Amino acid sequence: MPEPRTHTRPEARPSAVVQADDAWRVVVLNDPVNLMSYVVMVFKKVLGFNETKARKHMLEVHEQGRSVVWTGVRETAEAHVFTLQQWHLTAVLEPDETR
Amino acid sequence: MKRVDKRVEVKLSLPVVAPLLDIIRDLSSELEKSLAAPQALHDMDQEFRGAWIGELLQGQREDLRGLLSLFNGQFFSEGVVAFDEKNAEPIVRACTAVRLHLRERRLKALGDEALETGDVDMGGLDEPVRKAFMCYLFLATVQELIIQHLDSTIIGR
Repeated sequence: MPEPRTHTRPEARPSAVVQADDAWRVVVLNDPVNLMSYVVMVFKKVLGFNETKARKHMLEVHEQGRSVVWTGVRETAEAHVFTLQQWHLTAVLEPDETR
Repeated sequence: MKRVDKRVEVKLSLPVVAPLLDIIRDLSSELEKSLAAPQALHDMDQEFRGAWIGELLQGQREDLRGLLSLFNGQFFSEGVVAFDEKNAEPIVRACTAVRLHLRERRLKALGDEALETGDVDMGGLDEPVRKAFMCYLFLATVQELIIQHLDSTIIGR
């Protein structure tokens, strides 16, 4: 049986330019396969949401096709996207142009 | 005080589940080389993208091994599978990987709405599609069982 994996994204982005002050959004997109209970569980585990917040974002994904689940610095946003993808959710990184 | 690990044993119907294992094995084999959910990673340089996908793929392989190891001697002799704190997380992820791949490779004919609602006339399906859909539902049931009984354990890690 495999040991629990640590949820870290690959190290170093050799040629990408990271602007420390830029804000980035982690967006989760809808898919027809993942169970609602599964998505809620993943949000709780990966993003530390409580049940209410996790359900709110899950329903947003389900009904509107997408939900912004986290906003902040790119490095952390990338780590969240990576972990959400490990759980097979369709997660993308977007620049937060509202700031 | 000694901490007692939570463990859930489930007795499955051997004649129903055993035929589905061939599908799970076949798809797991296909998933050795490709991600179940291809991700949009365009805003990334090539080297980092390769490392990112490689890490995801490695994790996917380990999870699938965890799922396959569930169906061991105890399953074939007694029909029993056991979930615990160690295997719950990889198995629940592996179930998703196989379900995503089933949709992609075996269940296209059903359409996404039918997959989402589960509103499918099983009697009207060809045998391979019926079997694939049974597998899809079985894996969802495994996920529900784990989430229902071991959610707090998984979250607590």
